[in-house]
Amino acid sequence: MNALFVICGLGIISLIAEIANFRKWLISIIVLGLLGAAALVVADWNTAVAYYHDMLVFDNFSLAFTGLIIGSSLLWFWTASDFFEALFHKTDKSALILFAIAGGVLMTSFNNMAMLFLGIEILSISLYVLAGSRKEDLGSNEAAFKYFLMGSFATGFLLFGITLVYGATGTFQINTIANYVLTHAGELPSFFYAGALLMLIGLAFKISAVPFHFWAPDVYEGSPTAVTGFMSTVVKIAAIASFFKIFATCFSTIAPVWYTILLVIMVLTLVIANITAVYQNSVKRMLAYSSVGHVGYILLAFLADHKESDGTIFFYLAAYAVSSLAAFGALILVGGKEENTLVERFNGLFKRNPIVAVGLTIALLSLAGIPPLPGFFGKYLVFAMAINNGMIPYVIVAIVTSLIGVYYYFRVIIAMYFKDAVAEPLKVSTSKEVLIVVLILITLALGIFPDFLIQLL
Amino acid sequence: MTLNLFYFLSFLAVLSALMVVFSKNPVYSVLYLIITFFTIAGHYILLDAQFLAVVHVIVYAGAIMVLFLYVIMLLNLNRESEPHKSNILKFAAVICAGLLLVVLVGSLKGTEAIVQQSGKAGIGYVKTLGEVMFKEFLLPFEITSILLLAAMVGAVMLGKSEKTNDTI
Amino acid sequence: MQHYLISLLIFTPLVAACICLFLPKKFEKAFRAVALIVNVQQILWLLPMLVGFRASGMFQFVERSNWITLNLGSWGVLKAEYLVGVDGMSLPLVALSVFVLLIATISSWSIQKNVKGYFVLLLILNAAVIGSFVALDFLLFYLFFEFMLLPMFFLIAIWGGPRREYASIKFLLYTLLGSILILVVMIGLYTSVSDPVASQGGLLVHSFNLLHMMEPMNFISNTILDPNNPWQIGWFNARYWAFLLLFIGFAIKLPMVPLHTWLPDAHVEAPTPVSVILAAILLKIGGYGLLRIAYPIFPEAAMHFGMFVGIMGVLSIIYGALNAMASKDLKRLIAYSSVSHMGFVLLGAASVTEEGIAGAVYQMVSHGIISAMLFLIAGVLYDRTHDRIIDHYSGLSSKMQNFTALVLVGFFASMGLPGFSGFIAEVMVFLGSFRSNATNGVLHESLAVIATSGLILSAAYYLWTLQRMFFGPFHLKANIESDAIVDLTSREYVMLVPLAIAALCFGIFPQPMLDMIDPFAKYLTALVIDHGKAITLNP
Repeated sequence: MNALFVICGLGIISLIAEIANFRKWLISIIVLGLLGAAALVVADWNTAVAYYHDMLVFDNFSLAFTGLIIGSSLLWFWTASDFFEALFHKTDKSALILFAIAGGVLMTSFNNMAMLFLGIEILSISLYVLAGSRKEDLGSNEAAFKYFLMGSFATGFLLFGITLVYGATGTFQINTIANYVLTHAGELPSFFYAGALLMLIGLAFKISAVPFHFWAPDVYEGSPTAVTGFMSTVVKIAAIASFFKIFATCFSTIAPVWYTILLVIMVLTLVIANITAVYQNSVKRMLAYSSVGHVGYILLAFLADHKESDGTIFFYLAAYAVSSLAAFGALILVGGKEENTLVERFNGLFKRNPIVAVGLTIALLSLAGIPPLPGFFGKYLVFAMAINNGMIPYVIVAIVTSLIGVYYYFRVIIAMYFKDAVAEPLKVSTSKEVLIVVLILITLALGIFPDFLIQLL
Repeated sequence: MTLNLFYFLSFLAVLSALMVVFSKNPVYSVLYLIITFFTIAGHYILLDAQFLAVVHVIVYAGAIMVLFLYVIMLLNLNRESEPHKSNILKFAAVICAGLLLVVLVGSLKGTEAIVQQSGKAGIGYVKTLGEVMFKEFLLPFEITSILLLAAMVGAVMLGKSEKTNDTI
Repeated sequence: MQHYLISLLIFTPLVAACICLFLPKKFEKAFRAVALIVNVQQILWLLPMLVGFRASGMFQFVERSNWITLNLGSWGVLKAEYLVGVDGMSLPLVALSVFVLLIATISSWSIQKNVKGYFVLLLILNAAVIGSFVALDFLLFYLFFEFMLLPMFFLIAIWGGPRREYASIKFLLYTLLGSILILVVMIGLYTSVSDPVASQGGLLVHSFNLLHMMEPMNFISNTILDPNNPWQIGWFNARYWAFLLLFIGFAIKLPMVPLHTWLPDAHVEAPTPVSVILAAILLKIGGYGLLRIAYPIFPEAAMHFGMFVGIMGVLSIIYGALNAMASKDLKRLIAYSSVSHMGFVLLGAASVTEEGIAGAVYQMVSHGIISAMLFLIAGVLYDRTHDRIIDHYSGLSSKMQNFTALVLVGFFASMGLPGFSGFIAEVMVFLGSFRSNATNGVLHESLAVIATSGLILSAAYYLWTLQRMFFGPFHLKANIESDAIVDLTSREYVMLVPLAIAALCFGIFPQPMLDMIDPFAKYLTALVIDHGKAITLNP
């Protein structure tokens, strides 16, 4: 809870920075503040306290995901430091990012549908603006507008769903709803189920599962690369945490209602996202589709055992977040000012800058699920869970799609190592080189000793 | 009496909502939307939520719709500038919306009316609302300020010109 | 020290790779020196193992510590251990790897392009290779197995020949397909096997320990691979499927016809030292995996599909030899001869007799030595002229007498001439496959008979090549400068002579190594036949 206050406070401090003129120190203050927030999360570990009439509950699940969000944000601030070097709106951007993080924390810790809604809205509104922060760029404008329209639409579904669920149960508290559903099984009005399904659709938009993913590629491609990196890590973590929380608590007892629908969504997500990714020429867009595809694997774990899959999902997300941050970090460096991320741009990167190339390679290999990188363990745990629950045909689908994944990730790797360089050596600041090494080390550590993280939940 | 009023308001609400969609002139659409908001405010009053009704009228019909009208007039939208949508899209939209309608009607039809006596008289008064808002829902209320702040910062950021500083 | 020898073998190259990463790029000599020191040090650590090894079917120098323990709530505990050890099959292969890697490092002296990256990758490959030969935990094995893939991919992709892109991607996709098949079986085994010791407290501990997986008692009842009651999927039950998946996975690596097509391409494009490692060590992991994992864990399936495995082995022998005969490129010829010789490993394994299995292991070691030598020979020629087409040379013996002498040794050894290690191995495989029908009825005698024609074919293509390239009047194709044709340099002697001596030694004195392998072969044969019968008889 205190971490949330710290993050909100940091957002307001960065607004004040514009007036009080300490812009130079802002990023350092934010990083220190986030470190403090992370420390507060650690201090709260194993306490499970409910705050303000059970509006928020910080149990280990929420704390773990909050920690993950804060950790990824810290690394993100490092990768995206150039994003704040711009001439204008430095403080506005950091304030919006911090508010978005606060929204993400709310989405992991809510215990009341009102808080869920607020969290989603804070997160989304900040991002609508950030997506459009390259004002002179048409793609960025398109991204912002598309994201805004689709996002509002999704929120509409979610809100309608919440209303119907409230109408049936008379409460917004998710544990009370869960109890109500348990004790009133068989006598629930049918619009309760309609409400649950509408919420499913609304949240499927937010986690960008097929067929509710149409906004994702355009938005990911159009937004500034730094913001895309934020969307595909912090935002995704928060969205999946809220999805898990709602469906594993509130609607766990009515699993038969949504199970088949989610199964179809999962298979579609795996197949369509991974196949479409093959045809992309822009690495950014390819990563957008791949991030949609990863949701499919998470859904597979969720469907295998929706109550016990939290540890697996958490690890998968952590592995995915570290790898995507490294990938987007490299993308920012390679894309340069004009943010050109076509595959050709990566030609001969190994010769232009070996460190960036190796970092990106390891990130992509981890996303592809090659051992001993953490992506492999994430997929391994998901597959093991699914086989254990007799979902063999779906595991086969998932394995085939991850092979397709290897193909499109390797296209970039091939370009980096085999093609002749198109430009002179890529100069990268020392801080970025250190960052890449740190990310590689985190990735390797997660891959070789995965039990440390999974054991948390 | 209340029931008749309800039917009348509902009829008006649905009719004007349909007109929002079907009228070709955007200005008419907005005007119909205002009528829809008023009828919904009427529903709130029927449900004993006077405060909500007033706020609804002030905020939606008053502020937001005026803004809408203003934007439409500024952009000079009219019948010609309405983008043409392909028939396939329209068809798909009709099917999807129709399915949603079927689901909602189906699920609501079988429901028995839950007759709940509101415990307190004057449930819709400002005082009752304030008690809930500042006790049980204090945190969401405060968090809303963050939401508004984010929206405000965003509006300023998108709205402010970046060119002016260059010339100075 | 004695207890950590295996870990030292695995981790020294890794540490050295890390050190290399932090050395500045321009110290090219330093990277070579580090790699050489690591290799020599590995040999020094290997010697006490070879001396201290007691011939028995048991694992020795075992190291065990907890690695991953995950409590996954209602579905038990995931337990993976750092469990390594050697037995009569893995120790010869580890020794072979260390030996060949030393030679490969010496052979890498001529690498000029991005020396740092090359040696870092070579050292990582070194660790992964040793690791996969000693790992006794499936997850650990899989980790090393996959980890071999990437250094190899980059070594071919960056330092390879003109069509390196195609070759490396093909290599990657084939082996990745194989490892995914293995992964599927690994997940299945993991869900089905419990740790008998750790599970006693009522807690279900899923184990990756290969030794636990070999014991049918450890399978949890009603799981997918439970021998008493395996799930029926399509034509076969799940255990048969699992065996087939493992078989295909390892057969790609071996490689077996028709899954071999990546091998000639990879070999032709790879630089000489990488070819040497690929042929001498990496192919062996396919055979090793079959004998270490597929056979003991699914004995009844191994018996059931024995004939199929044997036929595929014979097919590889014949088809590989025929392709070798048709090859115009010397390196391609050697690559196809590898396919042919690795077919003997399959045939020997399929026989499930002591002789056959011991022969298969012996063949792996022998082929490791001989193929390393052959690829170095091709490298010697390529270094001088950048041309490997057989028809472009004639009468080389007049200019390169010593080289020709070593080529003769290499070719004769590969042909399986008596007195060379290949002969011992192939004879044992023939004996095993011939005796198989009488002892356990897995293979038909005719397979052994057909397989012998492989020997004749290999004699044919080697002698023909000798005749075309080395004998007759000296003549080169127009665009090759005859000045380039000079005899061996001292560095090349250092690489080729030890290999030639090793091939001769193991051909004349096979007993020491056979003593090492034999207990393993006995143990595996007994295990496969006993467990296989027990599982098949169970309703």
